[in-house]
Amino acid sequence: MTSTAQDLHDTPVVAPGRTILELRGLEKKYPGTHALKPVTLAFKAGEIHAIVGENGAGKSTLIKLLTGVMPRTSGEVIWEGKPAALATPHEAMALGINAVHQEVVLCRHLTVAANMFLGEENSRFGILQQRAMVREAQKIIDGLGFDLPAHVILGNLTIGQQQLIAAARATVRGTKFLIFDEPTAYLTRKEADQLFTLIRRLKDEGVTIIYISHRMEEVFELADRVSVLRDGTLVGTRDIAETNDAELVRMMINRSIEQIYHKEHLTPGAPIVEARNLSGKGFEDVSMTVRAGEIVGLYGLIGAGRSEFVTTLYGRHRKSAGHVLWEGKDVQINSEHDAIKLGMALAPESRRDQGLCLNLPVGLNLNLPIYKRISRNLLISGAQERTQADRQIADLRIKTPTRNALASSLSGGNQQKIVIGKWLAHGAKLFIFDEPTVGVDVGTKAEIYRLFSALLSKGAGIILISSYLPEVYELADTLHVFRRGKLVATHGFHTADHEDILTQALAEKQEKLGGKT
Amino acid sequence: MSTEAIPAEKPRRNYNALFGLTLLALLVLLWVLLSFSTSSFASANNISNLLRQGSMIAILAVGQTFVIITGGIDLSVGAVVGFATVIAAMLINAGIPVFLAILLTLLVGVAIGLFHGFGIVKMGLPPFIITLATLTSLRGIGLLMTNGNSISINNDAFQEFSRNSFLGIPNLFWMVLLVGIPAYVFLHHSRWGRYLFSVGSNAEASRLSGVNVQRTIFMAYTLSGLCAAFVGVLLASRIGIGNPTQAEGWELQAIASSVIGGTSLFGAVGSVHGPLLGAFILATINNGANLLNVNAFWQRVITGVLIIVIVYFDGLRRRSGK
Repeated sequence: MTSTAQDLHDTPVVAPGRTILELRGLEKKYPGTHALKPVTLAFKAGEIHAIVGENGAGKSTLIKLLTGVMPRTSGEVIWEGKPAALATPHEAMALGINAVHQEVVLCRHLTVAANMFLGEENSRFGILQQRAMVREAQKIIDGLGFDLPAHVILGNLTIGQQQLIAAARATVRGTKFLIFDEPTAYLTRKEADQLFTLIRRLKDEGVTIIYISHRMEEVFELADRVSVLRDGTLVGTRDIAETNDAELVRMMINRSIEQIYHKEHLTPGAPIVEARNLSGKGFEDVSMTVRAGEIVGLYGLIGAGRSEFVTTLYGRHRKSAGHVLWEGKDVQINSEHDAIKLGMALAPESRRDQGLCLNLPVGLNLNLPIYKRISRNLLISGAQERTQADRQIADLRIKTPTRNALASSLSGGNQQKIVIGKWLAHGAKLFIFDEPTVGVDVGTKAEIYRLFSALLSKGAGIILISSYLPEVYELADTLHVFRRGKLVATHGFHTADHEDILTQALAEKQEKLGGKT
Repeated sequence: MSTEAIPAEKPRRNYNALFGLTLLALLVLLWVLLSFSTSSFASANNISNLLRQGSMIAILAVGQTFVIITGGIDLSVGAVVGFATVIAAMLINAGIPVFLAILLTLLVGVAIGLFHGFGIVKMGLPPFIITLATLTSLRGIGLLMTNGNSISINNDAFQEFSRNSFLGIPNLFWMVLLVGIPAYVFLHHSRWGRYLFSVGSNAEASRLSGVNVQRTIFMAYTLSGLCAAFVGVLLASRIGIGNPTQAEGWELQAIASSVIGGTSLFGAVGSVHGPLLGAFILATINNGANLLNVNAFWQRVITGVLIIVIVYFDGLRRRSGK
């Protein structure tokens, strides 16, 4: 038997406003780390409770304890008035606690419907009722208002669409308590809006939601209450109506918001790279110049052609028309290798897929672009390899036990520092940062921005791609807006306001996006 | 995310060395047990024999490990060994100087490796498929060339080599060092060795960092082909014939040695000393089983079970080590 979204009304939930889940001194210690200091917090039935905090503040640990992935060190969890052990994921699910993770954990090669019913397949005499499941899944998806087919292979959908399916999947399982862990990190605005609609709907149906995000505006858009974690301690819980951006950021990092976007205005020097009427797969007729000492921001929706433009510039993909000037001279860039030789560096969009060798040591990752320099006749100088790695780790303040720790054991923010840091020793002149702060906390963001300033003052130029408007708005000296593969507008520093830029990026599609921006 | 909270992992280098030591301890333990339980194990004769038996698989396993580290597999090495014995035998019998014959045979191995690289990089074939195709084709080509007969090598000096010893150690074992030491330096202390790991871990990230991924893959398969052809020369010397059906199943023994030696079939994890130890552990098990008069059919079963046990415990130890 499978339940539909409609059935959720029948699921017995605690009356709204009453406590559904209570943490009493919940604590988690790892050898050497106190990941979560005793937390006491009560979640009210049917509320959307945001949890914010820097990377490493203890959010993920809290989720792991609540979903039974890891055992707690001490403390009590009271579920609907009764103590719950939460020793296994199965137990958590049986109670009705579910989580939707930032990275989709579903089977990419199976259909949407098969994923929806994974582990709860509908079968008759041992034979799967495939058509019935597709129909059922389609009904649920339609009911949630997503415009997605149930019979297609999940891997053919965008990451954002997969995320929506993951959320839909959690809702059909008699969920009473649903945790979203940074669900919008890879979503377009439209997909995010669909997700928010789903979340509000679940709330109306009495489901309690924990919403974890780095994006303040989402917290204010969605949440009823917000709790702030810092260094494993619960700093405080506020009603959303009684707090503001500035207060939350202060609670999170003990630092004011102005200090985050660290920006020095330098007089731009000579052009480093000029793209003239460049076209390629996914973008058309783009011209721009990046000069020494300036940040050129590229803003637009995901899929607007920004990433395609920079990867083509970097030689990863073939250009179809136009040419590129490097320091005033016409150049042919046929491979990444050519680009790197000229002095370009790319920190790609997805650190897991493109940026890092996760199961290799931090040191190797940091040195990867410069092995040629630290080796003679193929043989690597062990001493140079070690000192280079250690210097990067110290300069970038990468939190890692040693340079030999695996990259996968670091937090998202620290991994991102490796992706960026490996180019610093290389001595590039043009740095391309594609979404450098996705899934990164405010503190690390500030560090990354300070790094930008350091690079600029050394005479480098930066191309910064971001889907987060405040970031490009506050940092870019020149801001280009992309829409559907074209460069549609160019602004100087703060010469346009958010509204205009957003309109240019969205254009005619805007009215369909369901209002809030 | 608070993955920072995961406790510090032990430094990788120490850990690798430690793993090498546990394998070495296992090998020594086997030797000690066999010395006590059989009268003939510890004899000089048997030890030489054991070293000879293990040497050829050990060299194959080193080449195989390079490939596995990039996340690939080379199923062709056994066939390449058989094919190389044919080439070497034909060339030597044709009166070509032995060193030149050896050189040419090695070049054939290189060519086969380059072909694999071409198939994977340029044609986009999975390593499993292209090397499986070579496995069957090479055996066929060898049989066509020899009409299904063995070619006796009429050069005594060539055959002497594999029987002789230097400083009391069989020449074949010296060949393991001849391959193993440069391979160790290459894998752990050279730039290209690092690239093997990085490509095996994340090819896209490596490419964007300026690593020539295609060249790295070509290199791995070429080295594996070269090692296999070299083993073919050694085998031709040892058995004195060229026969394309020789070395049946050696690719699986090479893969097993590599895996016992701590290489991950998912890529990016591996060493040179691990597979060497793995190969000699397998050789010891076979040798010991012979001396203990274990039924040859059972030996195969025991080898299979031991592979499962060793790799399982290795996996356990790794997880608990985290």
